[in-house]
Amino acid sequence: MTTSQRLTFEGNPDRRTGNAHKDSPEQPEPYVVSPELKKAVNLAIYLRRPLLLEGDAGCGKTRLASAVAYELGSPLYRWDVRSSTKAQDGLYEYDALLRLHDVEVHRIQPDQTSQSKNDENEDGRIPEHRNPSNPKHYRRLGPLGQAFRLRDRPAIVLIDEIDKADLDFPNDLLTVLDDPWEFTIRETGETIKADPAYKPIIIITSNKEKGNLPAPFLRRCLYHYVDFPNDAELLKKIIEQHYQIRKTTPPPAKLVDIAVNRFLKLWREGGLFKKPGTSEFLDWLLTLHKFELEPYDAEQLESKQVLPYRELLFKLQQDWKNSAKAS
Amino acid sequence: MSDFDSQDAVLRMFLRLRSNGFQLGIGEYRAALEAIEGGFGKDPEALAETLKLLWCHSPAEQTYFDPIWESLPKQVSVQKRRKPPFPGNKKTQPAYPERFQEMWEPDRSIPQESLPPKQPDLEMASLPIQAPYLMTGEEEQSTPLAYYPISRRSMVYSWRYLRRPVADGPADVLDIEATIRQVTRQGYYIAPVYTRRQRNNAHLLLLLDQNGSMTPFHHFTRDLVETAKQESSLIPENVEVFYFQNVPAGSVYQDPYLTEPLSLNEVLGRCDGGTSVLIVSDAGAARGYRMRERVRGTARFLYQLKRYTSLIAWLNPMSAKRWVGSSAEIIANSIPMFQMDNAGLSNAIDVVRGQPLKYSYS
Repeated sequence: MTTSQRLTFEGNPDRRTGNAHKDSPEQPEPYVVSPELKKAVNLAIYLRRPLLLEGDAGCGKTRLASAVAYELGSPLYRWDVRSSTKAQDGLYEYDALLRLHDVEVHRIQPDQTSQSKNDENEDGRIPEHRNPSNPKHYRRLGPLGQAFRLRDRPAIVLIDEIDKADLDFPNDLLTVLDDPWEFTIRETGETIKADPAYKPIIIITSNKEKGNLPAPFLRRCLYHYVDFPNDAELLKKIIEQHYQIRKTTPPPAKLVDIAVNRFLKLWREGGLFKKPGTSEFLDWLLTLHKFELEPYDAEQLESKQVLPYRELLFKLQQDWKNSAKAS
Repeated sequence: MSDFDSQDAVLRMFLRLRSNGFQLGIGEYRAALEAIEGGFGKDPEALAETLKLLWCHSPAEQTYFDPIWESLPKQVSVQKRRKPPFPGNKKTQPAYPERFQEMWEPDRSIPQESLPPKQPDLEMASLPIQAPYLMTGEEEQSTPLAYYPISRRSMVYSWRYLRRPVADGPADVLDIEATIRQVTRQGYYIAPVYTRRQRNNAHLLLLLDQNGSMTPFHHFTRDLVETAKQESSLIPENVEVFYFQNVPAGSVYQDPYLTEPLSLNEVLGRCDGGTSVLIVSDAGAARGYRMRERVRGTARFLYQLKRYTSLIAWLNPMSAKRWVGSSAEIIANSIPMFQMDNAGLSNAIDVVRGQPLKYSYS
């Protein structure tokens, strides 16, 4: 593979080409990517190893996937992990009861069945007109299953909050996310194999809520810790990009300056039980700017002891009380 | 030395990290080589970043990486001066800016005598001719802080084997096979067949030695209790925890501070033949004592306990080597005793779930 044809991520939404996949995000994602993170993404794309992102909540772990998918024009399949999620759910689900139900309906109203045109059911979803004699009509492919079927470009699969799942979940995933990149649907006997040239790009986020992930899983992953943009310049760049991509007028520069300073001061001072993240800051800034008819007065923001709209920043009782005491 | 042998650096780093306890396999090594081929390690800095991404899986590991990496370049140059470079490995690569060369070559402007006698770097430099340092066991780790033979996660794993599934929960598990079987038998479909949810009926009694010589191990016992109660498949009500000091004679305590006593007979009264009893105590091995009273008291207690259940195991936070000569050695001959590490805990759980392999001390 030469460098020219190799997929790379530059953190520049304008690189998106015209023939994006239909499952690719429609809206550009305002995302300021650090050089280290950019390298991590490119390495993950090159080696096709899962990229594990850890970091505080609201620091842009999840958003990275849509930024990458938008820029590459690749489909994004998002898999939100819950505590009851099994590794197989990401591959496919099989609705045996629906099939049984259809057999009964078919018996009562035989004329109603319409022969479905797509016998292969390439869509991966359960079609409207089903034929109970075709088992393929009752399987629904999960995010990974859909990503494995792509034949013209790699898909981005976001496995969000993997730490919430059962203990075995990460290890079960490993067997699929490794050579030969295939799995079998037991009910239909199909084997779905990813095209070796277009293996999916996996981005995994974790909040470390339930302790560490298992070592064999970690071993396979690339690891990057997403830090809070603890720097005024960086934060301003993020603000700028947000308003640029949303095509709305940014708040007055002075308000931004003071808001950034006050926020960073709060963040660096410590003593908070839960530090607010980037997303909370952006919400707060938007509120300062747009919630009232007039933008919040910058001087007042600087001089006031108690922060305005602090309900957006403090999410724990203790923090809330401390913030009211005025530092 | 004008070029930078990234392959060599990767191999050295790989061996060094592995010997420092990083969980890396050949697959990870090959991934690093592949990354270099892909141009992700063109200069030392880029290579270090790449390796960090690939091989370090927590911020802690990343901070661990840097000092090891820093010590590496000098090592390479020492090696290079000693013998000519491998002819086949030579690749023409662009020369590096001055600062890399400085980093790679020891500064020759300073005469050898003026160097400080012992520097950590220089100490590292002698390492390539030594065999890589391998951790041979917990005996090697001298400080109590490093004594961490079993992780919380492996406790969670081990607890899962303690199960006695009984289908007595609510009937809400869809049995597809039974549904289809019923439909074919009846000829028509009425409703899906549900089976009852399985519950783990295992009953665990944890008896924990507290205070005194057990003080350094309190974080283990606390983890053990927490994982058993919250992160295992056991039903929390079926996990009973009692504390004692040295020997559970007469009464045990319901709290770790030994303030709420409960008579031993009452506790044992709750046991039946299916109750799994796990005792955690150093049995005198921590201080190496061999006290007749302790052994006698423990034997009396065990005799009493064995009238209720035979699913009894003893976890000793001290390693088996330290039992010799202490009361632990005597007790270990009358009851399955295991040191508290991964294998020990899973063996102990094997015993208390009633499926022991043949274990015997001595």
